Parts: sequence; structure tokens; C-alpha cells
Amino acid sequence: MNLTDVANKLVTLSEKTGASQAEAFVTIVKTASVYIDNDIPKIGSLQSEIGAGLKYIMGKKIGFTSSTLATESVQDVVDRAMSIAKVSSVDPKFVSLPDPKKASGSPDMFFDKRTANIANEDLIGKAMELVDATKSKIVTVPNGSLRASSVEFHVENSLGVDVGSKSTIVFGFFTAKSEDSGKVGEGVQRCWSREIDTIDFTKIGEKLQSKAVQVLEAEAFKGKWEDTIAVLAPSEGSEILGTLIGSNSNAENVNTGSSAWTDTLGGSVASDTLTVTDNGRSERGLMSAIVDDEGNPTQSTTLIKDGILKSYYFDNYTALQSDVSSTGNGFRRNDREANGRFAVQAGCRSSSLEVAPGTKSLDDIIGEIDRGIYIEHFAWPIVDAMSGAFSNEVRNARLIEKGELTKQVKYLLWVGNLLESVKGEMMIGSDLEIHSRRIMPTIAFPGTEIVGQ
Amino acid sequence: MTNVIEDLSDKDVTFADIRHETVTGTTLGVINGALRSLSQSGKAGVIARALVGECWGQASTTEAVSREKLNELLKEAIKIAKISAKHSRKAIDLSNIPSHEATVWQSVKENPAEVAVEEKIKLALEMENSLKIDDRLVKTQSRYIDSRNAFKLVNTVGSRLEWDEIRSLAMVIAIAREGSTMQYDYGARSSLAGFEFIRGIDSVSFAEEVANGAIALLSSEKPPSGQMTVIMDGDISGLVAHEVCGHASEADEVVKGRSFLTKMSGVQIGSEAVTMIDDGSMVGRQGTIPFDSEGTPGSKTVIIENGVFKGFLHTLETAVVMGVKPTGNARAQDYNSRIFARMTNTFFDKGDWSNDEIIEDTKDGVYVIKSLSGMEDVVGGGVQATALKGYLIKNGEKTSLLRSMTITGKVLDILKTVDAVGNTLEFSGGTCGKGEEDYIPVSSGGPLMRGTMMIGGG
Repeated sequence: MNLTDVANKLVTLSEKTGASQAEAFVTIVKTASVYIDNDIPKIGSLQSEIGAGLKYIMGKKIGFTSSTLATESVQDVVDRAMSIAKVSSVDPKFVSLPDPKKASGSPDMFFDKRTANIANEDLIGKAMELVDATKSKIVTVPNGSLRASSVEFHVENSLGVDVGSKSTIVFGFFTAKSEDSGKVGEGVQRCWSREIDTIDFTKIGEKLQSKAVQVLEAEAFKGKWEDTIAVLAPSEGSEILGTLIGSNSNAENVNTGSSAWTDTLGGSVASDTLTVTDNGRSERGLMSAIVDDEGNPTQSTTLIKDGILKSYYFDNYTALQSDVSSTGNGFRRNDREANGRFAVQAGCRSSSLEVAPGTKSLDDIIGEIDRGIYIEHFAWPIVDAMSGAFSNEVRNARLIEKGELTKQVKYLLWVGNLLESVKGEMMIGSDLEIHSRRIMPTIAFPGTEIVGQ
Repeated sequence: MTNVIEDLSDKDVTFADIRHETVTGTTLGVINGALRSLSQSGKAGVIARALVGECWGQASTTEAVSREKLNELLKEAIKIAKISAKHSRKAIDLSNIPSHEATVWQSVKENPAEVAVEEKIKLALEMENSLKIDDRLVKTQSRYIDSRNAFKLVNTVGSRLEWDEIRSLAMVIAIAREGSTMQYDYGARSSLAGFEFIRGIDSVSFAEEVANGAIALLSSEKPPSGQMTVIMDGDISGLVAHEVCGHASEADEVVKGRSFLTKMSGVQIGSEAVTMIDDGSMVGRQGTIPFDSEGTPGSKTVIIENGVFKGFLHTLETAVVMGVKPTGNARAQDYNSRIFARMTNTFFDKGDWSNDEIIEDTKDGVYVIKSLSGMEDVVGGGVQATALKGYLIKNGEKTSLLRSMTITGKVLDILKTVDAVGNTLEFSGGTCGKGEEDYIPVSSGGPLMRGTMMIGGG
């Protein structure tokens, strides 16, 4: 199926049937995956999905429909979109679809041919390389998944946008179980990349084994430490800081008054050690493409510079409301699950949030802390971005006392307010890692609490 | 599909199936008075699976279904299974599993597909409008979703099935702001049911309760932290049931010894007040399924009975490995996803205390209300369950309103401290991921439950 042809037919037919504007997004995703179960490749999988999303506009009334196109024709899809646009109610804030703009670079500049074409046998080999590096007399790999996807999309609209891009995504998630002398523990490692050959699976396996084993030493944390500095490994810190910044810099949230940083442009929102960019053209970014999913060119937007809020990020809808240009943040695609995204309407979402690295190593940061905690794994790190409040169960951590890592601890909560914490003396590490839509290093968050039994 | 399965003659393949899924539905969302999204979907895909040794291969596509295409898919699945099977350590024999032949179309009073879109829009706008009770509500939002998933399944032991699942959902969210303080509340109702379920919701009181909740939270206090007496509402007790005992009862985690419940069958793991059930055959719950993704009928499994651990949730494979009957818990997100052991409707059963009696009987404690998120700990048996809000309890009375907090602890310790269980069940529908993905519709529920656990909030 030719994506450009399908997109063109959808838009052309929509215009012929009375649409004042129309936008078609057509995509093909191919994914090879392997699921590890108890040290072996339990399930191998190959998926191929083609889908289209059509936005049909009549003045300020909008209908959206999506289809995999195998069981219905392009005409059927257009008819459905038209029928719901007709009965839709007016969105008074809708202005227009995007005008065409020149996007620099080649559509395949974020595409890795080797990743796109990897055979199941090779993928299984990569996963088993990790498993072999993890296994020991006391460690097994009960769960794991590794998948490589190629994503190609084309977007066309009535105003002349006619552009596409393609990219690749690799995602891996592995758990290791340790068992010794009646004690059990678990380690977790994830990996992300656009290029499968850049991932060192043996190194990840060794780290996974180490994490699983160190948890065996953990003892229940007793009592409460207030005003504590928490040093978060990139996997954990990027999730919680990414949520905070991604949500509060999102123009949709700003325009609807649900961002904590509404009317704060130019103000201090964080430590002067923190600089954050939304980079739709990040070299390592999983969302990187020459255009976003509305056809607007992607760009690098500085959100926070030395702790000062410099900009929000915008899709086409929010940009036109705010009388600014889109920053190329209209996305349907996802950094982790490539399938099914044609059925999602484009919305204002971050591309890749990059924290400017500091100069300190993990050891440097720990060496500067009198009393704190180094956290390598939460149950799942979450924060309420609007209020800043968080309370997360810690599953793998060590206390920091007088500049050194001491006791391994478990059964505790890390609690506090992240909006307040980031205004304190944050320490930013130099060890950038990619996790989901974030490229961030180890970060120390001051002014928090840990609570045990 | 049937011909392709019947023509399969590869001696290395001990089991195979083909499942076709068509998904249609309507989604709409209203934000601050404007209809921001209105969409109707139509997607279809097919997946073929093959078992060689103990390893599976699967291949899926959204291309048009033809005999040639299905043959190609099955061939690809077999090829992948054989590659994985080089690592296989044993053979799984599914030849004696029960087969089923049936066509089950869901009976609904009002098929959502036949309800005018205008009526759905009107309902969503009304719900959103009912949220606007105070100028401090800066963002108000409503959402309506209906879906129909239609399945066809054939397998090599003779199952020939067709069925569908129709679900309906209504949701509202209110965000309140006063100065720099922001809080929110939400309400969601969902069911395996038609549009009659949505009509049965009093949209005004449904929305106003949420709006009042968000406003009240603006003056809430920081929750206390540490080990204490906690009363969980039915939503939170359901979350604990689901995240901890539920996921750890999924038999794929048991056959490989990952679950902390692996050797607990027949063991007293909680107080006698604790009984827990997974039931995919309940009428009209979000997680109800006529058949699972392997064609086994949804059924009721008692997981914990009066504190004694009883049973696991099975796929065809885990049932054969453990020598028991499949329970209808093999579920996949969609035609692109793997099948593994999953929950359906999971809940702690009711006891004999009234809700008021539990509160009045508590001298010092915290009453936690409405779930936000949870995360399983299948290996360690820990729990992270985050609540939207709660109340401090002093001398048998609810006092200060508390903002969001997380409860945690080791579930085997927590269940032994349960000393009061309410006599009213409450269910919440939603989606469940396993690990960090593979989302499926489920519900979880329970009564008010009192126990000792750790709590903290920012």
C-alpha cells in the first residue's frame, strides 16, 4: 500500500464531499518481538499494521475517524468521517489545520535499516545475550521483552501539507529474580534506542544481575528522615521530572489553566543548574522525525534555561490559540508502543525532553551528600504535576551517610513536593541516558522525605 | 480460518489457533465547554499462533483476510516458533484441552452503535456542564466511549467460536485552582453493557460529586506518614486485591516460580475475614468475558477463602502444566499482542460490618478513598496503591480531609492484620497492564477493609 496515495485519496474525497478542510495520517508499522520467560525465548512475534486517521472539518465542526482499511474502502472511511462531522458541535477555538512549511533533512534521517529489517532469529539472539549475562546460580530471568519497530507515516491536508517521515524504535524490558538462603529479590532494566546495534546487551545483563543480587541485602527502613536529598538513577528521575516538566510546559495545559506554570514565563521555576530542551530532532530521541504528526517541522525548543521558564511547547491547535508558531509538538505516535497510533488524534505532547548534563559523576554527587538516599528503582515513579505532590514506594535503594553509600533498604516511601524540590539545590549528573521520551542523567532532588515502618 | 487450521499438518506443531478481531466504536471528549474530540473507529486484524515444544510463534496483520494470507501468517508463526524452540526444554501437550463451539452475541437493551451520535454528544456536554459549579474549577472535562470487539477463533483441538463484547464508559474530571494550589477529582463508570448503562447514570449528581470533590481538596491537609491503622474504601481494597494478590495469582508467574504465592496453596495467608475472587462470568462488569482469547469460557475462581490461599488464574498452557482445568484467564490486548494469564473482575468479598461500624470502631487511623494508580510486586509481595484522598479518623469520626497518599507494605503482613470487612461491595472498571503494558478491560472491587499498613503523602 502506498501511504501517499491513500492519504491523497482521503483528503481529495473529503474535499469533494464538502469538507472545508481535511487531514489524513496514514502509517505502516512493522514490529519483530521476543518475550523471555524463565530464561528462554517463550514467544516470538511478527506484526504488521497499516492504518489511517482522517480529520474531516466543516467550518469549526470536526469529525475524526480511523481505519485499518482492509475491511472497508477509502470512500467508506470518508463517508463515516463526514457523517460525524455533520452532527458534531462547534469547537469555537479551532482556527485551521497547519499551512505547509519547509522541513529540513531527509525523511529517513532517523531511520535505521538494520533495526527495521532485523530477523526474529537475530532479535532472539540479542535477548539471549542479555539473559546469558544475567543468569547465575542465584539469578534467573523470569520475564523480558525486546522489540524492534519501523514506523513510516505520511500526512496530507487541504492546505498543502504533504510530507512524511520514518523512524525506528527498539524497546526492551527485563526482570531478574534472585534467590538465596530464603531471601528473594528482583532487578529491573529497560533499554531504548533507535538503533539496535548501539545497545550493549551483555552490559545490561550484568547490571541487571547486580541489581537483583544487591536487593537481597536490603533491610526494612525504620522511621522517618526529613529534609533528605534523594539521588535518582536516570531511569527513575527521568520519569518523575519528565512528567513534571512535560505536563507543566504543555500549552494545552497552560491554555486550560491546569499547568502549575501558567503565567510563569520568564520566572524561576527550578534550580539554576537545570536546563531542559524539548528536541524533536534529538539524535537519540525515539520520537525524532523531520515533521510532527500534523506535518509541522520539528525543532529544538528550550523550555527551561538555568532554572528560568523560557517557553512552552505547542501543537497547531494550541499555537493558533496563543498566536505563536507550532513548535512541532502535535503527536499521535508513541515512544514505546508503535501500533494503533493511527486511531489517535494528534495532540500537544512532548517529543524528547533533554536535560543539559552537569559535570558531576554519580560518585561526585554522593560524595557531597551528608544524609540522603540513592534510589535505583521505584514500584513506579509518579508525581501529580499540578500540585507537585508525590509518594512512591522504593524497591531498590541505598542510604547515603557522610558522602558514602551505606545500607541497602526496602519497605519505604519517598514523599515530598517536586515543584518545591526542583527549586532547591539540585545536582545534575553527567551520565545522560535515554528513557522513553526523556534523555536525562542522574539527578539529586533536595528537600524530600523518606518514611519507613 | 477453519480450513487453514484443519489443513495444518506440521508434526512439530502441537497446537495452533487463529483469532480475528474487529473493533468499532465511538469516542468523544468535551473540555471546558467545547467538543474537542469526536471519533469513530473501525479496525480489524488477525493473529495466528503456533506451539512448538514449549515455545510459541505468532504473526499478525491488518491486511485483508484471505485463505492465502492466513496460510502465510500461520506459516510465519510456525517458523518463529521453531526458531524459539531451539531453546525449548520440554514439550507442552495441549491436545486434551476442552474444545468449544458456540456463537455468543451480547444481549444489550440499547446497542450503542444504533444510538444517534448527537445523543452521545448531548450527554457528554451535559455531564461537563454539570461540573461547572464554582469559578475555581479551571478545567472541566467529560468523556464518553463505547466499543464493540467482535472475535472469531478456531484452533487445532476443534474450537470454533464467535462472540462479541460491548462496553460503555462515562468519565468526568474537574481541576480546581486557588492561588498556586491545584487539585482534581474524577469519576468513572464503565461496564460490559450497552447504552442503557449510560442512561442509568444520573449525570448531574455524578458530575457535581466530582466537582465538589475537587473544590474540597483545595483545603485538604498533608496526610500523616508511617505505620498506622488504615481503612480502605472498596476502590482501594479492590486495587490492593488486583495489584498484589491478583497479579501474583496469575499462573504464568507461578509455573516459573516468580510469584510469592507459588507454594502457598492451602496456606493461611490472611485473617479469616479475607476472601478474594476473580470472576469473568459476572453480569455486566467491565472485566466480564464470554470467552478468553484462547476460547475458554470466563469463570469464577476463588483465590483466597477465609484467609486460606486456594487457586490460580490459568491459560490453557498453565492449566496443563499444573494439571488443572483452564479458568478462562488467557487474555490479549488485541490482535497485535501476546496472550498470557490475566485477571477479569477481581475483588475481596464482603464481610459483616456496616461501613459506619468500621469508622466508629476506629480510634485513630486514616480512611483512604478512590484509587489513582497501583503497581504489582509479584516477586516480593509488596504493594504500592495510591489514593486520591482520605480522612483522618479520630475517636470514630472522620475529621480532616487529606490529599493524595500512597499505602504500602508487605501484603502477607497486611492481610493478617485485617480485622474488619464491610458488608457492601463496590466495583471500579478500568484497564490493567501487566508489567508496564498489554492493557485489557478489567474491574476490581471490594468492601471497606481495615488493617495496618504504611502510609505517606507529599
